[in-house]
Amino acid sequence: MENISKTFAGDVQANKNITLRIEEGEVHGLLGENGAGKSTLMNILYGLISKDSGRIIIRGQEVEFHGPHDAISVGVGMVHQHFKLIPPLTVTENVVLGMEPIINGVDKRKGRLWKIVKQILPISYRSASKRIAAIAEENGMAIDPNAKIRDLSVGLQQRVEIIKTLYREADILILDEPTSVLTPQEVDELFVTLQKFKDAGKTIILITHKLREPIILCDKISVLRDGELVGTVNRADTSPSELAKMMVGREVVFSVEKEPAQPGNVVLQINNLHVRDSRGLDVVNGVSLNVRSGEIYGIAGVEGNGQTELVEAITGLRRATSGEITVNGTDITGMNPRQVRDVGVSHIPEDRHARGLILSFSIAENVVLGKHQNPPFATGPKNMMLDLDRFNKEAKNLVHTYSIKVSDVQVPVSTLSGGNQQKVVVARELSINPDLVIAAQPTRGLDVGATEFIHNTLIAMRDKGIAILLVSAELDEIRNLADRIGVIFDGKLVAEKDPYETSQEELGLLMAGHGSEDLEEARNV
Amino acid sequence: MTENVEVTNIDIEKDDDTITRILRKLNDRKLRKQAMWTFGSIVLSLFVSALIMVISGYDPGAAFYYLAVGAITQPDRILFYATPLILTGLSVALAFKCGLFNIGAEGQLYMGAIGATIIGYMFSLPILIHPILALLVGSLIGVIWGLIPGLLKAYRGAHEVVTTMMLSYTAILFTQWLVTYPLKEQGEYAWISQTPRIFDTAILPNLYGPYVHWGLFIAIAAVVAVDFLINRTVLGYELRAVGQNEAAAEYGGINPKRNMALALGISGGLAGLAGGEEILGTYYRFTDQWSPGLGWDGITVAVLGNNNPWGVLAGAIFFGALRAGGNTMHQVAHVPIEMVGLIQGLIVLFVAAPKIIDWLADNGQSFAIRMKSEPFPAIPEFLLAAISLIGGFLGFGYMFVQMAFDPILGIALLLAGITSFLSFAFVYPRNENGTLMALLASGIWIAAGIFGTVVAGIQVGILGLALGIPMVLFAIVLLRVHRPPFLMRRGDA
Repeated sequence: MENISKTFAGDVQANKNITLRIEEGEVHGLLGENGAGKSTLMNILYGLISKDSGRIIIRGQEVEFHGPHDAISVGVGMVHQHFKLIPPLTVTENVVLGMEPIINGVDKRKGRLWKIVKQILPISYRSASKRIAAIAEENGMAIDPNAKIRDLSVGLQQRVEIIKTLYREADILILDEPTSVLTPQEVDELFVTLQKFKDAGKTIILITHKLREPIILCDKISVLRDGELVGTVNRADTSPSELAKMMVGREVVFSVEKEPAQPGNVVLQINNLHVRDSRGLDVVNGVSLNVRSGEIYGIAGVEGNGQTELVEAITGLRRATSGEITVNGTDITGMNPRQVRDVGVSHIPEDRHARGLILSFSIAENVVLGKHQNPPFATGPKNMMLDLDRFNKEAKNLVHTYSIKVSDVQVPVSTLSGGNQQKVVVARELSINPDLVIAAQPTRGLDVGATEFIHNTLIAMRDKGIAILLVSAELDEIRNLADRIGVIFDGKLVAEKDPYETSQEELGLLMAGHGSEDLEEARNV
Repeated sequence: MTENVEVTNIDIEKDDDTITRILRKLNDRKLRKQAMWTFGSIVLSLFVSALIMVISGYDPGAAFYYLAVGAITQPDRILFYATPLILTGLSVALAFKCGLFNIGAEGQLYMGAIGATIIGYMFSLPILIHPILALLVGSLIGVIWGLIPGLLKAYRGAHEVVTTMMLSYTAILFTQWLVTYPLKEQGEYAWISQTPRIFDTAILPNLYGPYVHWGLFIAIAAVVAVDFLINRTVLGYELRAVGQNEAAAEYGGINPKRNMALALGISGGLAGLAGGEEILGTYYRFTDQWSPGLGWDGITVAVLGNNNPWGVLAGAIFFGALRAGGNTMHQVAHVPIEMVGLIQGLIVLFVAAPKIIDWLADNGQSFAIRMKSEPFPAIPEFLLAAISLIGGFLGFGYMFVQMAFDPILGIALLLAGITSFLSFAFVYPRNENGTLMALLASGIWIAAGIFGTVVAGIQVGILGLALGIPMVLFAIVLLRVHRPPFLMRRGDA
């Protein structure tokens, strides 16, 4: 597989004359910030997007892809960032989709007539299930072929996607941001699997914007910036800071500089909180904590240990089964989201697309969400009318203050890049002069530049005397920002640590459900 | 970094006045694209219906001529037909803005109509107050009829498509029972299921001519009101927010349940107003099954108007013109009135096509996904497959008709039918030989058409050419993409 070169033009030049050379059997990292053109490039290779010019050569043969089926037929498989699975169907049904198996023997026959015969024969899932189980076992990816997709965790769903490509006998595997949705444990499992593929001689292309992954896994790393190839380096010859410099185009400071916190009064007080999730299971089991003004309280934990429900309970989106939440002495337990906002709580939600933004609304309409019903944005009798001029004024102000890259505040927020979308959310939430900010995964999926900006903003808010509850799955983020760290495991706060006195490995063990004794033990062995 | 400063440097002080805002709206690329698409759909549907008229033996020239003449010479009838459609269209569009599909406007219209009728003939009230009260009661009953599925949706999760549809039939049958038993007019016309005539005090007076009554004024006022509600009020903002992203709306302190119920309630009120206005302005009494599907047509009007209040107004007037012209077309050119329904249906099909493709693509239809990512080969391919499928059915259908008269033509049509089906079977799964099969089928169609013109008349000829020529054109276009193996030059691999 050599010499892939293609240009992609249009309104935006997503790829400019990129030439990549990927050797058989290597793990090749494709690194770049959001919008650098990584996914576009790989979608071209997978046949999803047509290229404007350039050639794709696989094993010395020039190929022309009109769709993914062409790519699959030469052994290219892709696992997308957003899975393409059908939730109500089983693993087997999803894997065989598009190439449904039929009774034994017939599916191996080739020829035109057989092709028609195959179309009308009934589907036999049994042989497919067997093959899927075999593939899964071979690669150490335990999975039940008869489980329904909707019952599987995100990590298992990703496995199904990988099995799907293996089922189609792919030996060139493209993984688009595979770790962005996984817990640290699942990431480790994925890396083990990928290592196995590598040993089996498969070629893997790993698309990512995180620096850690290519350093661990890849043989060679290509860095893209603004649609151009900055360079390809061997893992052995590079360092994280060099890669970051290539990605961003300037030096990046990894640790955030901040003054010591000046904590004041207790703003948020949570006593023995219990919350159930949508399935009725207890996922928050007696959490008690307090956050003072002028400090950042970080909640570290593997995702799915009750953080989402804890945040939803504080912000009024979910009812707590028992316990008490007070903000500045006001009991907000059982209040609805609007009442909680009115108390002075703002919320940067963990998923900006699902909750944070209304993508089809303009920037102006999005920056007033949550305060639209109050003056000055609402006018007229009983505040029933909207003052659209105030919308625009507010939007222009915030765009200016938070240096959000937009041409016009009337454009739908869906046209912005991920980083700018998150800036819109942050700008809106911090502009209401809150007493308490609940920031859940505030930098998820953001590139280095935007992450830096949001970190600095949060620190600045803290220094102004605002209480901040930071929930993040990124341990580095918690360690850099928080003044106190609470570790959540299985819906309980298992420990509270001072970031200056704890270590990465201690937090990691606590997050995995081991106590401090285990750490001592680990040290002694 | 200089670029950064440049784009974020928005003039904070400058405010847009209303005129700039309107101009910007008109200049909006999306709006213009939508308008172009709608216009194109109308042209396309007229073209397709002309073909169908030709195949079924009518003169499309005369039909369209009288359709146009009928519409242009009777602007009052256009507005008369448009009036209820504006209101039912607004009803569907408003619910849709909140992400809800109100299929039951017909039932809400019936309930509103019966309410207005009851006030109209049972109570004696002074002029002016009488129609206003009747309309208010009609709308209120519509609100209730919309609120029921709204509440069920919000608090019990019952899908509104099912509940509004079912309540629609409930309403139609309930009013039928009312006018057949308790409210039935006795006396001379006792064999008709209808209520007595409303009092003259309750009648909406005519505005202009014998057709246009004050209902038109109410409908246009409703357009302005709905536009204002959606775009300039807190409630409208909340409705739209819930419609676009329920979770985000909830996060923003908006109660999605309350807003969903309200949206269907207001939607029902508009449909109820349409019913009341029709009774007071046009029919003067409630007759069983009086509505010619005004509520259902509201759905198509809303689609045509892209759920925009002013678009709904334009769509309703256009449909009114089709109705007004359709009568003339029917009377003078003797083309069946159903042709108008056909044109309406085709327009909506074409207008909604991109949305249908979007929906199919979102739901994992690979053909639809390809049409979005690579429109060039995908759309001609799809059209070729569609024409082939239609050709297959038509070939077999005409074969049965012609076999008795001329067996040779019959066999030719049979062949054309078989090859068309095969062409579909190859083109749709994107077999590389599909274009060749399509060429073969088109050749047989053209040959059958020419032969048929000689032995059976011009109709068969036009049918053959109408199917054959586009097939040839699409196939030739596609030959550029799918080059069949034996046409490949050396080194093309």
